[in-house]
Amino acid sequence: MIAALGLLVGILLGLWFRPDVPLGLEPYLPIAVVASLDAVFGGLRAYLDGIFDDKVFVVSFISNVVIAAAIVYLGDKLGVGGQLSTGVIVVLGIRIFSNVAAIRRHLFHA
Amino acid sequence: MPEHLSRPEAQQLPERVTMPLLTLITQQSLDEDYLHVAERQAAGAPRPPRVRPHRTAAVVIAVFGILVTTAAVQTSRNADITDASRASLVSQIGDRRATVSDLQDRIVRLRESNVGLEQQLNQVTSTEQDAASRVTRLETVAGYVPVTGEGVRIVVDDAPNGDATQAVRDEDLAKLVDGLWSAGAEAIAINGYRLTVLSAIRNVNVAIHVNSRPLTPPYTVEAIGDTRTLQANLLDSTLGSEFFSLAEQLGFVYSMHNVDELSLPAARFPRLRSVQAGTSADQKTHMDEETNP
Repeated sequence: MIAALGLLVGILLGLWFRPDVPLGLEPYLPIAVVASLDAVFGGLRAYLDGIFDDKVFVVSFISNVVIAAAIVYLGDKLGVGGQLSTGVIVVLGIRIFSNVAAIRRHLFHA
Repeated sequence: MPEHLSRPEAQQLPERVTMPLLTLITQQSLDEDYLHVAERQAAGAPRPPRVRPHRTAAVVIAVFGILVTTAAVQTSRNADITDASRASLVSQIGDRRATVSDLQDRIVRLRESNVGLEQQLNQVTSTEQDAASRVTRLETVAGYVPVTGEGVRIVVDDAPNGDATQAVRDEDLAKLVDGLWSAGAEAIAINGYRLTVLSAIRNVNVAIHVNSRPLTPPYTVEAIGDTRTLQANLLDSTLGSEFFSLAEQLGFVYSMHNVDELSLPAARFPRLRSVQAGTSADQKTHMDEETNP
């Protein structure tokens, strides 16, 4: 419940302030969003599994975002930014899908 | 690698090393840390005191919400710019396509004009060749240039008895020369004097003058022409046969034989006083006349 409230507050804050992303960081924002999405779904699955832990969630969230952005940044510097971001999105997408599948099993027992 | 060697090593390695990548990603989609923490708690580790449950998580979720919203806002804000740049690119593509088709049209036009110019060039070239051959022909006929070629040399002398009535006269030589012209000779010289269209052969007293220059016997008539037909044609022609019958009657000493290479000098040219250069229209009519002399 409090998590849903937090999400709502975050969206409202984002809409209210419309923070400007620095131009240099702009390419890494979508990757960061996908990585955080992975962490959020992982946390939700862990919650449903009954093994949710605040600390693990926070650490996984931050590290996911930072590592994904760092990988893409490194790829940009090496000239393979597009390919690396594709790889990151593929891996994160697979994780998101399997996590969502587990969540679905929990919610619908199917 | 042989099977029996790799088997024990594979058993020693942890599962995450040997597992295929996709399987690994799918199976470990949930962070292992949750499991570790859960196992530790199940083993009896003291649960950390939780005063405000999940508050941190809520803050992080809020951050996530900000992140997502920012990304969405950013994307929608950039949509206008992206559209504008795409539209400008599309219009640029249209412009360039028009330019390309213009250039292709120009290529076609230039190719057509190229073809036309080539035809003109061919015409001009053939005209030029005609003119060049005409110049050569005229130069030969007019004695403008020295010429060489195979031909016939005819040597004629007065009868040996010295009778003045049996001497070679202008009309005899003129008959011979006219016979040679009609037999197909292209250039003729008598005693080294080139005959042209203006040349005259006439007697002044006993001496024969060619181009107003006196000649002394024997008279050497050199004619350039086809050696295979020139002599026969000469004998066939009216004037030629007249000359030879005359020579037989009057007892001229004459000989005629083919020469592989004759060299005839250029003619001397009279000074032109009244002639003026004609127009191209005159040239046209004269050309037709020259083809059938």
